[in-house]
Amino acid sequence: MKNFQYGKPASLEQAAAFLGPGDPNVFVMGGGTDLLGEIKEGLVEPAVVIDLKAVPGLAYIKKDKDGVAIGALTTIADLAEDPGIQKDYRVLHEAAAVVASPQLRNVGTVGGNLCQRPRCWYYRDARIVCNKKGGVKCYAEKGRNKYHAVFAGGLCWAVYPSDLAPALIALDAKAVILSAKGERTVPLAEFYMPPIVNVRKENVLNGQEIVKEVRVPQAKANEKSAYLKFIERGSWDFAVVSAAVKAVLSGTTIENIRIVCGGVAPVPWRMTKAEEALKGRKATEAAARQAAKSALKDASPLAENGYKIELLETIIARAVGSLGK
Amino acid sequence: MDSVPKKRKSVSRRAFIQSVSGGAVGAGVVSRLLGKEPRPRPTGPGELEVFEKKRISFTVNGRKVILDAEPRETLLQVLRERLRLTGAKRVCNRGECGGCTVLLNGRTVYACHLLAVQADGADVLTVEGLASGDKLHPVQQAFIDKDGYQCGFCTPGFLLASVGLLAKNKQPTFDEIRAGLAGNICRCGNYQKIYAAVGAAAEVLRRG
Amino acid sequence: MKKEAIIEDPYLEYIDLANIGGDQAAAPPLPQPAQPKPGEFKLIGKYTPRVDGRKIVTGEALYTHDLVFEGMLIAKILRSPHASADVVSVDLGPALSYPGVKAALKLKDGRVKWAGEPIAAVAAVDERTAEESLKLIKVEYKVLPHVVSVDKAMAQGAPLVQNEGNVAKSNEYTRGDAEKGFKEADVIFEQTYKTSWEVHQPTETHGSLAKWDGDNLTVWDSTQAIQSVRDGLARSLAMPASRIKVIKHYMGGGFGSKLGVNDHTIIAARMAKETGRPVKILLTRQENSDCVGYRPTAWMTVRAGAKKDGTLTALTLKNYNCGGIGRGDRCSEPFTDVYKCANVKVEEYAVFVNTCGSRATRAPGHTQATFGLEGFMEELAARLSLDPLELRLKNYSTKDKGDTGTPYSTKGLEQCYKLGAEKIGWSRRNKKPGAGNGTVRTGLGMASQIWPGAGVPGTLADVKLYNDGSVEVDCGTQDIGTGTRTHIAIVAAETLGLEPRDISVHIGNSDLPWAPISGGSLTVPSVAPAVRDAALKAAEYLKGLAAKKLNVAPAEIVLEDKKAVSKTDPGKSIDLKELARTIPRPMPFHGERANMTPGFAYQTFGAHFAEVEVDTETGKIKVKKVVAAHDIGRVLNRQTAESQVIGAITQGMSAALFEEKIMDPETGTMLNPNLHDYKVATAMDIPEIVPIFADVIDDRLNNLGTKGLGEPPRIPASAVIANAVFNAIGVHVREIPMTPARVLAALKRKEAGK
Repeated sequence: MKNFQYGKPASLEQAAAFLGPGDPNVFVMGGGTDLLGEIKEGLVEPAVVIDLKAVPGLAYIKKDKDGVAIGALTTIADLAEDPGIQKDYRVLHEAAAVVASPQLRNVGTVGGNLCQRPRCWYYRDARIVCNKKGGVKCYAEKGRNKYHAVFAGGLCWAVYPSDLAPALIALDAKAVILSAKGERTVPLAEFYMPPIVNVRKENVLNGQEIVKEVRVPQAKANEKSAYLKFIERGSWDFAVVSAAVKAVLSGTTIENIRIVCGGVAPVPWRMTKAEEALKGRKATEAAARQAAKSALKDASPLAENGYKIELLETIIARAVGSLGK
Repeated sequence: MDSVPKKRKSVSRRAFIQSVSGGAVGAGVVSRLLGKEPRPRPTGPGELEVFEKKRISFTVNGRKVILDAEPRETLLQVLRERLRLTGAKRVCNRGECGGCTVLLNGRTVYACHLLAVQADGADVLTVEGLASGDKLHPVQQAFIDKDGYQCGFCTPGFLLASVGLLAKNKQPTFDEIRAGLAGNICRCGNYQKIYAAVGAAAEVLRRG
Repeated sequence: MKKEAIIEDPYLEYIDLANIGGDQAAAPPLPQPAQPKPGEFKLIGKYTPRVDGRKIVTGEALYTHDLVFEGMLIAKILRSPHASADVVSVDLGPALSYPGVKAALKLKDGRVKWAGEPIAAVAAVDERTAEESLKLIKVEYKVLPHVVSVDKAMAQGAPLVQNEGNVAKSNEYTRGDAEKGFKEADVIFEQTYKTSWEVHQPTETHGSLAKWDGDNLTVWDSTQAIQSVRDGLARSLAMPASRIKVIKHYMGGGFGSKLGVNDHTIIAARMAKETGRPVKILLTRQENSDCVGYRPTAWMTVRAGAKKDGTLTALTLKNYNCGGIGRGDRCSEPFTDVYKCANVKVEEYAVFVNTCGSRATRAPGHTQATFGLEGFMEELAARLSLDPLELRLKNYSTKDKGDTGTPYSTKGLEQCYKLGAEKIGWSRRNKKPGAGNGTVRTGLGMASQIWPGAGVPGTLADVKLYNDGSVEVDCGTQDIGTGTRTHIAIVAAETLGLEPRDISVHIGNSDLPWAPISGGSLTVPSVAPAVRDAALKAAEYLKGLAAKKLNVAPAEIVLEDKKAVSKTDPGKSIDLKELARTIPRPMPFHGERANMTPGFAYQTFGAHFAEVEVDTETGKIKVKKVVAAHDIGRVLNRQTAESQVIGAITQGMSAALFEEKIMDPETGTMLNPNLHDYKVATAMDIPEIVPIFADVIDDRLNNLGTKGLGEPPRIPASAVIANAVFNAIGVHVREIPMTPARVLAALKRKEAGK
């Protein structure tokens, strides 16, 4: 592991200004739990790492009339333990509570979680130069792919590993992004990019930008949400499949619903067909299963991950079914 | 020592490098004073001090430590190699097993997966700091009484994870104990006895 | 000077743990001391906390990883990225001239057969320098085709891993006439079972530290076998064993992967010699995952003929083992020995692929075989509409070789069945597998176990009495986490009327009296009887002294509560401490583990019962409870014995549900060489585990009637879960790990009526 230079900015503005030239060897770090893994594995060799945790005042969960604003440097543990989040945004609470392990939740941040890199074992092996690392193929496509994508693969079949991203997209959250040029706000639904847009990265940040805050709109009185994550072992595992659902209910009837899945595509994957099919239906497991089944016809599994389709159908059904409970 | 940093070219013209010139602290030296910390220079817009070696200070088990750390050094490396506190173990070295768990400001963290510079100013507790003199911490005693270990290599990590858990939750249920220890792996597989130990320790701590 | 040398991998020697121990030729028979009566023991068989617990919980216990010496160098190994290649050239020059590098070795010429094979090594002033300099070594490879999967290796035209071909017969056995047996059967049933490559993943990675003092070498090694490491080093370095000392105080797990001298240990020794400085080498987690072995796979086709009442008339096994470039495990014993059957035939083949050689893994062969045999028995019972327990009892044997050979000295399996079945509530099982309703199905399963675990005659231990009353035990064994120090202290204290903490236990140094490897469930039944033997001699000596002092016959004296007391006149007693003052000098008493009484077979036995829940929509298995009943003779310390059982079941469950070394066909490398992608059970996964000991004391076995326990509880631990899953969902998954994908596929197989 090569040494690098380390900077502790006094403000986010200072960090953003430093990123201004867009040097690809300058990295920003939240808790560093993902970046340090990448450095250790030799996937990246930063010249400079900017420690955003050093900046005061970026870890907060603030309620206001528009909803809740979550500072990017809020730890996942603080998010998971926040009573307001637990009360109003069950899906976000449940997603935060099952991220990695207690130790990583204590260090990992909301911003870092949203910007983490894929966990594909080909990508994480520095010896293997795949499309994502400037190579000429995806090794998973015809290789070992039990944990890989069943949607939108092609150039890269790695799945997007974040638990918070599907939850926040289901909640219509937006990311506030800062750069030397100023701020912009991007709906998280538009934050991630599939490999076909750019196989080398997963989100719209341009290398000069920093996620500063996440804004979640005010929960409606009749809004229900849930996050269900399926993992192989009991803890410290990335989702084999996950489903974040948020519905506006009238009684038990779905007025509208968002279903965003993790572990199944290179980006958090919205099941729009299933959402459409569920409008006006009761929020039951049976209805959701039917809707999911037909939506999943679009999936294109690889040799070893066909089981994910079956799993996803069940996880979506159970997540939706739990809304009324 | 061979670890004196070389001056490197800045990647950004607007950055400037400030290397600490004092040299590394010798292994095993826990010192209160190392001479003057270099004063941060004022920075203009877009400028930021970056360090190839950074003077950091933190407390370990109640003792103040000041040393110059390379940014790439993990907290675990500093604890084990420079402070000779070898209780926390290097098992996976990737934040996946909990063998290096220590408390950082009262919260459990993987020392192998945290840069030493991130611990600047923090309060660190390792297994070496759990007992008060000859008197074991109730969690330590419970691990002995319940045989909450086998080979013992993961034990320091489990002890700290348990102390961290019990600091947050004085009366954990069985499921809360499991969830609290979910970031630690015992390859010998003695979890059942570890839970029993944590349950017993909670009882002792509650009774005071 | 810095020079080149080739080091061969010394580890490829096959270690057949199941056949170590019980070697009647190893030592002359010694008289068996009289057995204590039940209730006569104060410590043995009770709960005793570890004597070194304090060291472990304070972090004071020093592991090989923790050792540092003045001027110590750190060595690192450059490994082949290719699974098959010819090494054309290795240029150490640039690494040698890197500042801080003190030595470099070339380790390989010619053919590389697995990704991770050592090519070169460097020793440098610190770890980072060693790492950086490794990158400077220039290696030219001629890359060759490789094969890393069993089925591809067996296919026509596969790249040859070994010159003689990729498949070689490794074992065969015949008893009676299987064909005749099949003709006598009412039902003939055949099924195939598969196990995966399971990696040991000890928490402490392999590591060694070598230090020379003139011509004498001391090696601190994270090992299960200090004596074997010394002997292996002597052979590899062509130097006298008498000049080598191997030390191991504490080690973070081995599970079979640390049973002999490793190439990195030899590298450390050579580089230490060359540089005149201590050299330490610790493997990384990745190296530990893909370079130091794993449990070989088994691919077992089992066929049996049975009468309607369950009587076995024939049993055959055809098995393909895959242990990478090595020969894998022999899986025959459970098939030939557990059940009464006159007609048995076993054929085993080794399949070679381009991965590192396998190593003994907690109950090598038996664990895989038991998954096949016991899975098959569960399915056969269903086929015959019999209670699986009844089927096993129907074919119960009292002699080895399936009731055709030597009688077992003791066999408590029947008691284990009874105790275990009662505790789990066996009558609650689905009478017909898969009979339940609903999404989440519950099931109960069982599995039996056999394993030698009798210990090694000839094991030595000394008890030394000092004239201040203190007592020391010297034994060249090692504690690998089972509690050996405590076991020794218990036996010595029991025999001498002391407390365990009164005994200074000296182990973990190869200069001490010989003891076998700590593997194969050998330690307790080898070491404890040797300690007992020495302690009994010391006790006799003390009784003699006391008899004189108290003016009674020596036979009148008992040692208890730190006193020598007259049995008939308890008023006559003397403190042992005071008595010891008359000892003229430190008095050593030599103990030896005696032979077993000839004419009997000695085995451990056990039965596991498990309760599981299976989510039929997700394929997720939740293990609720495992009851483990074991016949291991006399239990020395219930506290540590329970831990052995609990740990083994956790590992067995982990292997049954999660563990698998995943190889990439294209690059020939391991894809999950870390502790996240290689999944081991966490705190969230484990069931309630209930250890039960049958307490069948074998007087013919040794002077404590005790057997080993490391392997036994691991053996049925995966099989029992698969069998409970079968009972829950009505289809056997037949392959571990039983991932959600495999469980869902099995359910589909059931739907399709296959």
